[in-house]
Amino acid sequence: MSGVVVLETLRRQASNLLAVVYVAFLMILGLASSRLEAPLWATFLTLLAIVTGAGLIGPEFSSGTLQLILVKPINRSVYLVSRFAGVVLFLAIAATLAFSCEAIGRLVWGGADRIKDSAIMLLNAVSDAALICALMALFGSFLRAYFNVALYWVIQILLGLIESLFKLASMAKNGFLAWLNDTITSHPIIPDSLAWLQRNLYPDAPQKLDRDWLLMVWSNVAIAIVLACFIFRRREVPYGAD
Amino acid sequence: MSAGVRVRGLLKSFGDQQVLKGIDLDIAPGEVVGLIGPNGAGKTTLMSCLLGFLHPNAGEITIDGAPNDDLDVRRRTGFVPERMNFDRRETGRNFLRYMARLAEVKDAKTKVDAIMERLDIANAAHKRLSQYSRGMLQRVGMCQALIHEPAYLFLDEPTSGLDPNGVLLVRDLIAAQKQRGAAVLLNSHQLAEVGKICDRVFFLSGGVIAREETLRHVDRILVAITMLAGTYDAAAVERVANAAPRENHVVIATVETENDIAEIVRELAATGAGIIDVRRHTADLEGIFRGEA
Repeated sequence: MSGVVVLETLRRQASNLLAVVYVAFLMILGLASSRLEAPLWATFLTLLAIVTGAGLIGPEFSSGTLQLILVKPINRSVYLVSRFAGVVLFLAIAATLAFSCEAIGRLVWGGADRIKDSAIMLLNAVSDAALICALMALFGSFLRAYFNVALYWVIQILLGLIESLFKLASMAKNGFLAWLNDTITSHPIIPDSLAWLQRNLYPDAPQKLDRDWLLMVWSNVAIAIVLACFIFRRREVPYGAD
Repeated sequence: MSAGVRVRGLLKSFGDQQVLKGIDLDIAPGEVVGLIGPNGAGKTTLMSCLLGFLHPNAGEITIDGAPNDDLDVRRRTGFVPERMNFDRRETGRNFLRYMARLAEVKDAKTKVDAIMERLDIANAAHKRLSQYSRGMLQRVGMCQALIHEPAYLFLDEPTSGLDPNGVLLVRDLIAAQKQRGAAVLLNSHQLAEVGKICDRVFFLSGGVIAREETLRHVDRILVAITMLAGTYDAAAVERVANAAPRENHVVIATVETENDIAEIVRELAATGAGIIDVRRHTADLEGIFRGEA
């Protein structure tokens, strides 16, 4: 891990006006959440994770900054992991600020007994954000610019569409959908695999402390980062043209 | 351990297209070497392979005896790309501080301020890079490459976009690097600039080093001798001048001293050639390039 890269990533986020405004928005949501059942800010942390995670590596590649960094004495994997750590640290700080506002609100306006639940949500939301960033790092390790976000969403939308199609097929009596239903009924590995993919790539954060869920998420984070490092180490980073 | 950059049998293809077809080159410490060639010759690909951005299909690249992706080698390497496309939201100072810290420069703040002053962009240090002109960005590029005083400097069109003062500044900076013992590889289309700065030059053409020229310490003179049509024997002229006469009855000979010119003229006259004009040129890079391109 490179402290220089982690700190620089944090500094860049802190000096990004949009990011600061969004964190302030999360804090306001934190205050508002103190009057609600569930912490609203946790949902909006996902969007911040997607936006900040998107810039992990791809845009640097396209802008040419990456080439300047890669001639410096820093290992590619160390660089990628440090960038990831910096972004996750920023998201953890943003989430903690939002949670703190919620806790203050609950202490002032009542509902202090729910602070523990919100603290669990803080842990779950940060874990979820870390998985999003790890996937962005993985997709960014072989794509340029912001195509990692596009791929992230394309996979999510495709999985959702296929799931809907399967539900539709289960109601069909004849035609293609009926044939599809027969196929997935006789080959349950197909819907099971898709559900597994959905659960592992886009997990819904539970409202309670779920150790299995946390273990799954952080295992997936580790796998995605290891894969990203493996690809990134071998990636060619051409610049300019003859 | 061999000091300097050593490349042997470098091959690089993109799909079916073979861009580098067996490059061998050496660059010694303290040497300024130019890399010139027509567009598509493979100059940027060669530079990218040397810097480890591209993985060669075959061949060996070592710097001071170690592979070019060795972290210790990178501590001694600086690079200026042709196009400076940094994160434009950053200020020049912050960007350079980050680069300096990555390059493990001690006291990065002071050194960044000093080099920005040296490259005449100190007054724009607080401005965002989006407000910099192309020439200013080029200077930022030079700053980030020089801040850790690298032993090996790879420059891709470093004077691109610079005003005359900037060009002179870069020339001085390269001379200063050479003086402190750094090796410089300069990829440039500006032949006059390469001719002024470089000790040696590699002509890259069709993915191979078509020619290597030493530009310093060797004074070569080209002499163009025009003869009267029908008065000379082509074979005799070729024997005397070591070059065949052209269709316009001009023979271009390469000599080392002015005495050699007189000698050739005397010998040609002795063969019966009617000499009507003798013009002397010092061989320049453009002339050599015209011959190769």
